[in-house]
Amino acid sequence: MNYKIIFNIIAFLLILTGLLMLPGIAFSIYYGHNDIVSILYSSLITVISGLIIYFFTKNADKHQLGKREGYLIVTLGWIVISTFGSIPFLIHGSIPSVTDAFFETMSGFTTTGASILNDIEKLPAGLLFWRSMTQWIGGMGIIVLSLAIMPLLGIGGMQLFSAEVPGITKDKFHPRVKETAKRLWGIYVILTAAETVLLMIGGLTFFDAVNHSLTTMATGGFSTKNASTAHFDNPFVQYVFIIFMFAAGMNFALHYFLLYWKFDVFKKNSEFKFYLSFIITSTLIIMFIHRPHHTFSLEESFRQTLFHVTSLVTTTGYVSSDYENWAPFSRIIFFILLFMGGCAGSTGGGIKFSRHSLLLKNSLLELKRLIHPRAIIPVRFNDKAVSQEIISNVQAFFIIYILIFVFGAALLSITGLDFFTAIGASATCLGNVGPGLGVVGPVGNFSSLPDFSKWILSFFMLVGRLELFTVLILFSPSFWKK
Amino acid sequence: MNYKFVFHILGFLLTLTGLLMFSGIPFSIYYNDKDIISILSSGLITSLTGFVVWFFTRKNLEMEIGKRESYLIVTAGWFIMSVFGSLPFIISGWLPSIADAFFETVSGFTTTGATIIKDVEALPHGLLFWRSMTHWIGGMGIIVLSIAILPLLGIGGMQLFQAEVAGPSKDKLHPRVQETAKRLWAIYVLFTLAETILLMFGGMNLFDSLCHSFGTLASGGFSTKNQSIAFYNSPYIEYVVIVFMFIAGTNFTLHYYALKGNILNYIKDSEFRFYGTLVVLLVVFTSAYLTWNNNINLESSFRQSAFSYISILSSTGFATVDYQLWGPFFTEIFLILLLFGACAGSTSGGVKMVRYQLLLKNSLLELKRLVHPNAIIPVRQNGKSIQPDIIAKISGFVLLYLFIFGLGSVTLNIIGLDSTSAMGAVAACLANIGPGLDSTGPVTNYSSVPDLGKWILSFIMILGRLEIFSVLVLFSPSFWKR
Repeated sequence: MNYKIIFNIIAFLLILTGLLMLPGIAFSIYYGHNDIVSILYSSLITVISGLIIYFFTKNADKHQLGKREGYLIVTLGWIVISTFGSIPFLIHGSIPSVTDAFFETMSGFTTTGASILNDIEKLPAGLLFWRSMTQWIGGMGIIVLSLAIMPLLGIGGMQLFSAEVPGITKDKFHPRVKETAKRLWGIYVILTAAETVLLMIGGLTFFDAVNHSLTTMATGGFSTKNASTAHFDNPFVQYVFIIFMFAAGMNFALHYFLLYWKFDVFKKNSEFKFYLSFIITSTLIIMFIHRPHHTFSLEESFRQTLFHVTSLVTTTGYVSSDYENWAPFSRIIFFILLFMGGCAGSTGGGIKFSRHSLLLKNSLLELKRLIHPRAIIPVRFNDKAVSQEIISNVQAFFIIYILIFVFGAALLSITGLDFFTAIGASATCLGNVGPGLGVVGPVGNFSSLPDFSKWILSFFMLVGRLELFTVLILFSPSFWKK
Repeated sequence: MNYKFVFHILGFLLTLTGLLMFSGIPFSIYYNDKDIISILSSGLITSLTGFVVWFFTRKNLEMEIGKRESYLIVTAGWFIMSVFGSLPFIISGWLPSIADAFFETVSGFTTTGATIIKDVEALPHGLLFWRSMTHWIGGMGIIVLSIAILPLLGIGGMQLFQAEVAGPSKDKLHPRVQETAKRLWAIYVLFTLAETILLMFGGMNLFDSLCHSFGTLASGGFSTKNQSIAFYNSPYIEYVVIVFMFIAGTNFTLHYYALKGNILNYIKDSEFRFYGTLVVLLVVFTSAYLTWNNNINLESSFRQSAFSYISILSSTGFATVDYQLWGPFFTEIFLILLLFGACAGSTSGGVKMVRYQLLLKNSLLELKRLVHPNAIIPVRQNGKSIQPDIIAKISGFVLLYLFIFGLGSVTLNIIGLDSTSAMGAVAACLANIGPGLDSTGPVTNYSSVPDLGKWILSFIMILGRLEIFSVLVLFSPSFWKR
């Protein structure tokens, strides 16, 4: 294991994180809030720590970056940036407990959006901006950002890229990883800017518009308001959110092709078709069965349902009403949506549509295989036969995902959470969604949970964001063997 | 499709079912109950209908049957048997509603043990005996019984055997399927007799001990008492039932070799070790918890936990205590265990240990495969490597299982059950256990479920008993294609 390069890259991540803390100061100055000094200090601590490590590891052998180093850099890197990222909250004192600050930052970077803050609006503007910024960085990924701007990472970069970017197969738009990373971040910035403009047209202040755009595009879900997006009770704004949540849950490769007016890729993309039809069908079904319980107009029924289905499926986690109590049966329905996830190559978390699609196809083909036991019937995806290894990998992913969810729910209920809170918290953190059920449901938050539960959930968020294997592989003995 | 043969066998199954109905009559005569005529007429209707169908399809019979015919025979056979099996309840007027009678009979044949009868003790003895008899027939399987006694089935018998017997791989005790079936039924009869005698030592009368032995060995769970086994308030009886429930959850192949003197085969079998270890771990932790936390004496907490866990894992469903009252997190633990099931080749339902074991092994090996991407690392069980297509089949099964569980819970939830009861009921019926959670839990019954819910649950029980594929394959278009 080439530890020197590992620390070298992590140091670079730290410097980057520290610098990204600074833009929030502009808002603090504008609004005259008291968090300028604490943000400055935190930024200095982070950058200097990064510089020191960087200095001591600057002669690292940059050509020795294998798979193992890749996994270790990504996992360790995420833990380190979450630790340093929580310093602004701690120094300022708005989140005094280390557990809470770490949970909030991890929830930010992993784009979960689960919060322990009871009164979000009390936070100064600079900290609120940093909170949204963590989601934006985590959405496209800090490693991908580093790959785009750090010249040295050209070699071995692909290992890092595939360890951080979600999905089974990683599309490359360009043979060079650096160019791919640049293009991804380019699209990400454009979409974020577009949403900011549209939200401002809808009547949001520049500050609110930027914050919400950062968290929408990251499928994060942090809001600057206590009532989340329900604060902006305006159909136009809600439709803007719906559209951009949907865009954030799409494979960014598709956006890239869209920029070049290549529409036929949408037709060929099985995952996109599944994603789109799933959202539409489940919205219609949920709207239809809830209609007798709703008091509002048909348009609002449709909008509210579409909003929540999109928000949960893409793992954003914005809420605009207490959907859990729409009807006595809403709980399980919305709970199941927590397991969907966006498309591969999106900023969404969860299991992802391509995996669901492959598994479902494989299960149904099993019926065909029973009738024709000797025929070899492969699963087809995007008109190509999928190899047995990929199916096996997806199956393993799904089983481990469910296993962690179940194990987590049991562990959380032993720490004292009730049944629905436990299963909701476990599912929502693993899927990087945000709101769960019961105490941690759409109108609740995570502040009342025991500290031990918060640490477990922080770990779950990380495991979910890095798609299980990148983290779990570090616990496998064969990883450490020479 | 060879329909003539399909009907011929279905006719035979019906005749057999009708004849078996008469077995309760001696008890009716002895206890002087008024159900003799209804049982006699139901038995006659069933066996005569069967005989007529059998008789008219007997000529020019083509003996060739393929996979399609066997799936059709098994699925249609189980439905038809359940329809005719409910006649005694309907004719005698004890269960006037068709939905109730069908539910109760399906629950019997599939060895679920979920009941809609509020006062079991009021039922006449002949009906009670038939109710337990449905368990016993369904436990080892009526198709397996037919294979054992009908020489005609020697040719296509293996296909039929595989479609009915549970588990991903079917061990053969003998190269000839008829001999295998004979041996399986012989062991089954032997254990049933042994338990009957042991229960009679504990003070039960012949009728109750027979009925309870049927319910135990079939891993069913119907009792002749309202309070189930708790009625007897006898540790001895509870221990006897514990032992035989455990036996019913073990692969009968292992019993066969044990009876021939190879006791060590139990320990050599990896699935049995997994099953045994899980039971021991659960019982040790829970009895410790109950002793410390709930102040129950050690012997009693050991007995309560062993009884409850083995009852749920082996999918029997007998209850002595309300385990949901043990503590806050036991609802979760039991919900998880409702999805387990015991060993393949036993009479238990559910997903089965071996499936979980193989999937777990495969998932962990996936981590190893990530570190060594070019190595071919197969899953090994009992010293043999398992083909990837078997793993694919198992994960197809588990995925469909979870899918049906989710869909069923949502549907029942919408029909009117609360979330926990709905999940408990679907999990318990799909795994053929019986008691679920809350309003369908261990101390209540299914009488409050709406009629539509009973039909859905009846279908789910048959899906679970025939391990999903045998039933679902009939819905696949390629099944009906020439």
